[in-house]
Amino acid sequence: MATQAVPINKSQATANPKADSMRGADLVVKYLKQEGVDTVFGYPGGAIMPVYDALYDGGLKHVLCRHEQGAAFAAVGYARASGQVGVCIATSGPGATNLITGLADAYLDSVPVVAITGQVASPVIGTDAFQEIDVLGLSLACTKHSFMVTSKDDLASIMQQAFSIAKSGRPGPVLVDIPKDIQLADIEAVLNTSQAEAINTCPSDKIDDAIALMQQAKQPILYVGGGVGMAGAVDQLQDFVDATGMPSVTTLKGIGAIPNNKPYALGMLGMHGTKAANLCVQKCDLLVVIGARFDDRVTGRLESFAAGAKVLHIDIDPAEINKLRATDISICGDLTQLLPKLATNLDIKEWQQYCWDLKQEYRWNYDAPYRSIYAPKLLNQLSEKLPDNAVVSCDVGQHQMWVAQHMNFTRPENHLSSAGLGTMGFGLPAGIGARHARKDDPVVVVSGDGSFMMNVQELGTIKREKLNVKIVLIDNQRLGMVRQWQQLFFEERYSETILTDNPDFVALAKAFDIEARTITQQTEVLPALNEMLASEGAYLLHVRINEADNVWPLVPPGASNADMMEKV
Amino acid sequence: MTLQTYTLKVSLNSSPEVLERVLRVARHRGFKVELMSWNDSLGELELTVSSQRALHLLVNQLEKLVDVTQVIELSDGLSELQQKKPA
Repeated sequence: MATQAVPINKSQATANPKADSMRGADLVVKYLKQEGVDTVFGYPGGAIMPVYDALYDGGLKHVLCRHEQGAAFAAVGYARASGQVGVCIATSGPGATNLITGLADAYLDSVPVVAITGQVASPVIGTDAFQEIDVLGLSLACTKHSFMVTSKDDLASIMQQAFSIAKSGRPGPVLVDIPKDIQLADIEAVLNTSQAEAINTCPSDKIDDAIALMQQAKQPILYVGGGVGMAGAVDQLQDFVDATGMPSVTTLKGIGAIPNNKPYALGMLGMHGTKAANLCVQKCDLLVVIGARFDDRVTGRLESFAAGAKVLHIDIDPAEINKLRATDISICGDLTQLLPKLATNLDIKEWQQYCWDLKQEYRWNYDAPYRSIYAPKLLNQLSEKLPDNAVVSCDVGQHQMWVAQHMNFTRPENHLSSAGLGTMGFGLPAGIGARHARKDDPVVVVSGDGSFMMNVQELGTIKREKLNVKIVLIDNQRLGMVRQWQQLFFEERYSETILTDNPDFVALAKAFDIEARTITQQTEVLPALNEMLASEGAYLLHVRINEADNVWPLVPPGASNADMMEKV
Repeated sequence: MTLQTYTLKVSLNSSPEVLERVLRVARHRGFKVELMSWNDSLGELELTVSSQRALHLLVNQLEKLVDVTQVIELSDGLSELQQKKPA
């Protein structure tokens, strides 16, 4: 952003005049380091200049993204891939408004992020000063909490609270808006590190009731959401699954919490879930919901979702209990503590067999008779070539659903997907964040030609940081998911979804010193994947596919999950 | 559900934007504010809302706000439901 045309007092701009006090900006950087943050993502501008001055030799790695939205998504990707709080920084006005979509994404997916924004100096707040916008007001609907610092004496405490709130309970984004005069003010402060709030343990009689409910059930299903990964409770969940033998389904964000190779893991449920997952959920007599929230993309028509089932709902957020579906028993608390207490043996052999049979009956079929590339098969082949520690960051649309369906994950933090907000443009910057969080693990971005162009400027970040990020760009020259719905539900009226005028993606990548090639035939897939994975640095594999390839199966809008559409 | 009217007493840590936070949640979650009274020095907001949605959908969301310390339902001056946030 353009710098603010207000000269700053030179004596204020000199670094740290006294050992026992520091500028607010230095306090921010010092606090971040003390908090254990090793990398922050941002973009400088006038009202955040003191913080950038403090970052200049502050000993904290700053990654210059090429748009504040990219910085926010990079912080989300960093947080999701590492389990640590992600940090993004922007200036006032347009810098802050550009963060908003990333914060909304973090809010809907419960990702711990702290956003720091510069604000115009306190005396001119409310005067429509240059690059002034009411950021605190903007933050109300898209953050877990937010602060505007009004006194220099509050800054240290607010930084600490921001981190504590971001990671406590159900995590979420927190914004700290810091006027420029407070960034420049001398502050004496003691810096205390944040702590996640302790969680109340639940009464043991509820545990006993929950176990009794599970033991009475003949056909229980475990419905696993993103809360399991966010709680760091994947190991406890897998022990629970091993103990109970309960067949399981996962949400988009729950993918990876139960590996697909577990015998009764039925895969993703919902609109583009597996038929086995949806049919078993519809037939179950008990739904054990762990860290999930009955999202409409999961339930289809809510009234008919697992209509005959009792519900045992376990989540950290009391507001999710009885929000969309009445529960029979609910327990709020920390899944790492609760799941071991709930593990019990169940006698459900017939039901396990039923679920296993459906899982076999509705296995994915990768036979594609035509010569052009079938993206689900390519993604499955890619998945088989990647080690278990690889991170896949995808964008939003058809390719996102194909990643969810056809790639295998053994940890939720390896599958980065904008689930709640469904934000196109997420994949590339989130992959950049993951690259910094997981320095030793392969990072692959899977994008579509629509989504990729939404934050294509982040190729500049890859070039600048020389990042080893592999990009698989699935290109059908369409906004494919919208095109699919236009075909199925809007009488093939393809309004503004035809992108035959896409840029030359290989030339585009090369402009950023990124190696790239295009493939169009099935026979090229394996050699191209091998070449990409063997390459030294960043690589873009441009994959042309047929625009008629749709995501199947599909629960049509307003329908029950029992009524999935098959390929037409 | 039919339209119902509820009166709540919401205890808040006072901050310049705290009323906006409460009112935004009420609107977004489908509750129309009919009447309100705010005492800044006590940090107490009395709120009469109407909605076709069940009251717990609002109370649970209000309790998630960092600056909300307590939500009490008042009906005809009687406390029917008293919920205190865990410390």
